[in-house]
Amino acid sequence: MTAGGAPQGPFLLASLIGIILISVGLARLAQKRAQKGDFLKGYFIGNRSLGPWALGLTTMVQSAGTFMGFPSLVYSHGWALAFWLSGHMIIPLAAFGLMAKRLAQLSRRTGSITVPDLLRERFDRGAVGRVASLLILTFMVFSLIGQFKAGAVLVKMVWPGDAPYSVGLAVFSVSVVGYTLIGGFLAAVWTDLFQSVLMLLGVLVLFALTLAASGGSLEQSTVRAMEQTGPEFAFCPGYSTDGREFVPLELAFSLSFLWFFANAASPGGMSRVMACKDTRSLRRSMIILSVYNSLVYIPLILICVCGRSLIPDLPPRQSDEIIPRLTVAATAGVPGGQVLAALILMAPLGAAMATVSSYLIVIASGLVRDLYQRWINPSAAGGRLRNLSYLCILGVGALAVAANLEPVDYLQAMILFSGAGLGASFFVPLAMALYWRRATAPGALASMLVGALAVLGLFVAGWAGDDPGIGQATRFRPFYLLGMDPLIWGLAASAAAGVTVSLVTRPPGSSHISSLFDAPEPPCSTA
Amino acid sequence: MLRDARREAAVVVVLWAVALAYKLLYCSRFAYRRSPETLTFVLGFPDWVFWGVLVPWGGSVLLTAAFALFFMRDGELGDERGPRA
Repeated sequence: MTAGGAPQGPFLLASLIGIILISVGLARLAQKRAQKGDFLKGYFIGNRSLGPWALGLTTMVQSAGTFMGFPSLVYSHGWALAFWLSGHMIIPLAAFGLMAKRLAQLSRRTGSITVPDLLRERFDRGAVGRVASLLILTFMVFSLIGQFKAGAVLVKMVWPGDAPYSVGLAVFSVSVVGYTLIGGFLAAVWTDLFQSVLMLLGVLVLFALTLAASGGSLEQSTVRAMEQTGPEFAFCPGYSTDGREFVPLELAFSLSFLWFFANAASPGGMSRVMACKDTRSLRRSMIILSVYNSLVYIPLILICVCGRSLIPDLPPRQSDEIIPRLTVAATAGVPGGQVLAALILMAPLGAAMATVSSYLIVIASGLVRDLYQRWINPSAAGGRLRNLSYLCILGVGALAVAANLEPVDYLQAMILFSGAGLGASFFVPLAMALYWRRATAPGALASMLVGALAVLGLFVAGWAGDDPGIGQATRFRPFYLLGMDPLIWGLAASAAAGVTVSLVTRPPGSSHISSLFDAPEPPCSTA
Repeated sequence: MLRDARREAAVVVVLWAVALAYKLLYCSRFAYRRSPETLTFVLGFPDWVFWGVLVPWGGSVLLTAAFALFFMRDGELGDERGPRA
């Protein structure tokens, strides 16, 4: 099998138009639903109405990196990626078992609709909310920019003819920003739900086709891939052409922390947890996500291992096109192949759209609620907040488009940077906020800032320093202190700062803490 | 609810630590510095992937279901309150 051409055809364009129209339709429905009651609660948290399927399939959003960056790494380095990714097995427990129940309870008790909002209320200090908002903005923008690039590339691929990259960027940006603008949080959730189903179907169909194309034997595919590359393809730390160790043991150890803590403290995921209907939904969503992740990630590894044996000659700079190219190659000659190809290729596009819509809402809610309404104009009317919300979504979208006029590199690296930064900034302060009465506002501020600065510092040091020869081959790399991911050091620094500063500063007021930690008094009888 | 949430969070951390310890110990022994001739396959997977990643992954799915169905308790999330001025 050859590297295959660009995946184009009438069904692909029709599917692209179809997915956009369905997303806009869902956004209109969401708009009507969210109009009931307070604008901000409806627009940014969907009036706390999410059930188990919406929570389970959309809280930990699969990003474009799942279908482009990650497959590229499996194609390039082999089975070591199974170990690299293995931390995903525990993500559902981290997302819904670690802090979710208490987060949902406290967000109701305080009337909070965003993570900075909740931190501000818990610590009774406006600066905590403002710093949290700025950190979310800082770290999320990197991931958002990467997702726009991925979406633009995917649309360009399915667009008829030799369309320029700018066409892909324009179509992708207008579509996603448009439907997010119309329907807000619920639009993002409902379209994510629809796109999650597409992703699952796409992965499973491609898995069946790829396995069949490679003779039905995973073992033979691995052996052929080893013959084309080297024996390292089947082992850790992974195959490479230049002696790079992709996943040495220290890095694998620290990545397990990254998946666990970064997902538990992802602001996008937490805003959805805060919108849950009840604790029963949280419990059931945990099971749904666990099964869903298993059905998406494990087959993706198998697809790309088979892909290496089927398409052995992709140049390194094109390895992130392995899924589209494999789709074209595996569906060629299959009855209904173009329809299947269209279905499969909508999966990565759906992933990029889902992530962008989720991030747009989180960033816009932070700007409107936490910076404008809380800080600048507390008495702002609903109409003004509505207009400002629209303006923020448009503005953030425009910023991401401007940053992508020249396509950015380092997609997967930017996603990992964003995850590490958010995990190091928010996990410890949130755990302190939810479970520790003695935690203070200065402690929370110190914890956020020290965690964020530790991660930023290590990435700056990595950018300026020499290539250590481990992890991804990218300029956008951290300094791996003792061979470990920066999140480990960020978490340790954040915990040390948060606990120390809390203990040396004045304890929070007992009545305020009691209102958040103790069961409410039963109403007095008037009899 | 607070006591339940704390207890559940502690159990989640323990489960994560156990899964982490198992796969690190297994994979450090069988996935690194091996001679290619010793490689065997289980259901098409390299042996270390099957025992070091897939088996704990399957175990995690089962434990997650057990945690959600039998251990985690339901509770009242309370009424919505407006933010303080």
